[in-house]
Amino acid sequence: MMSGRTCSSGHVVQAQKLVDQLRVEAGMERIKISLTAADLVRFCQDHRRSDPLLTGISASSNPFKDKKTCRLL
Amino acid sequence: MRSPLTPEMATQEVQLNETLAHLKTESETLKTKLEEERAKLHDVELHQVAEKVEGLGQFVMKTRRTLKGHGNKVLCMDWCKDKRRIVSSSQEHAVTMPCTWVMACAYAPSGCAVACGGLDNKCSVYPLSLDKNENLAAKKKSVAMHTNYLSACSFTNSDMQILTSSGDGTCALWDVESGQLLQSFHGHAADVLCLDLAPSETGNTFVSGGCDKKANVWDMRSGQCIQSFETHESDINSVRYYPSGDAFASGSDDATCRLYDLRADREVAIYSKESIIFGVSSVDFSLSGRLLFGGYNDYTINVWDVLKGTRVSILFGHENRVSTLRVSPDGTAFCTGSWDHTLRIWA
Repeated sequence: MMSGRTCSSGHVVQAQKLVDQLRVEAGMERIKISLTAADLVRFCQDHRRSDPLLTGISASSNPFKDKKTCRLL
Repeated sequence: MRSPLTPEMATQEVQLNETLAHLKTESETLKTKLEEERAKLHDVELHQVAEKVEGLGQFVMKTRRTLKGHGNKVLCMDWCKDKRRIVSSSQEHAVTMPCTWVMACAYAPSGCAVACGGLDNKCSVYPLSLDKNENLAAKKKSVAMHTNYLSACSFTNSDMQILTSSGDGTCALWDVESGQLLQSFHGHAADVLCLDLAPSETGNTFVSGGCDKKANVWDMRSGQCIQSFETHESDINSVRYYPSGDAFASGSDDATCRLYDLRADREVAIYSKESIIFGVSSVDFSLSGRLLFGGYNDYTINVWDVLKGTRVSILFGHENRVSTLRVSPDGTAFCTGSWDHTLRIWA
């Protein structure tokens, strides 16, 4: 037998959890996109030379571009 | 027979309902405040900041290897850190065992073990051996136990801990040796489908994506959800951190991939085209973060310029859905697994 009282207190607990969670999220310090995006761009640029899929590497140095077969272990 | 409400019970019920109403108002106010705070920082778009960056030229990427060892749909794969081995799992039909779709698999950092699980609701660890006579199934160790299917698993920085996500709506952190639950993560309102650990330099967090269309960022030590993003219009099938750890990408059944900036706390790019109408199953970045690879349910792989938001290439080859995609640890290639029973290595 479920009394109306039990239903209500369950909802209250859930609602309190949601409010607590939202308070945590609202309290976060955020930074403008113009600044954070600049950092994303800078990271890409700093690492572009060491990104083989980006630069493409010569067939002789890419281990997958030779004609060896794969072994099922 | 229900006893009549006493005056005390009636008063309590009224008080609870008042508290509930009060909490609802407060949560609405907080949600509005969150939206306003996020909007204030939206002073520019990512592709605008990237305007001065050189465009990317033509990309020629082809299948370099096709691996045909599976008897059924390939569901998941992972690279070993030595870059020479991969583990993959599939929907094998079994006669003697109950249905055991293996939906998740991961290589241990040492390369000495693999973890996998699926419809058995568990994540088990298998030691690896090159000795074909060893019965490895007998050495399997059950580590994680969920109340619904295991959707994804990942070792943390060592072979000692495993992070799992499940159809039961939770994620969990386990000690491999003892099988003990170290931390659980509650917050998703439906099945959790994917997870990714932050690069080790950026601390103890991970991101998860689910059927509730949300991507949540978690603090591994406290179990707290520290950020939540809800801009996708359907299930999120895949999440992957940008290599710097300051952002992550997601792929969804809504046919888009999106980029979320963690410090600005918002979505900063959508990778989509009107012609792309099938869901994304799996995403991963190239080493520099400039390229985002997406495996799609229309059998293709789309390659996106992360900064400019444009597509740079579309790759064909698979004869059914691409279900899993991972760039190799050294970034020289990426591997895709498909419902066409094969794995392909692209470079």
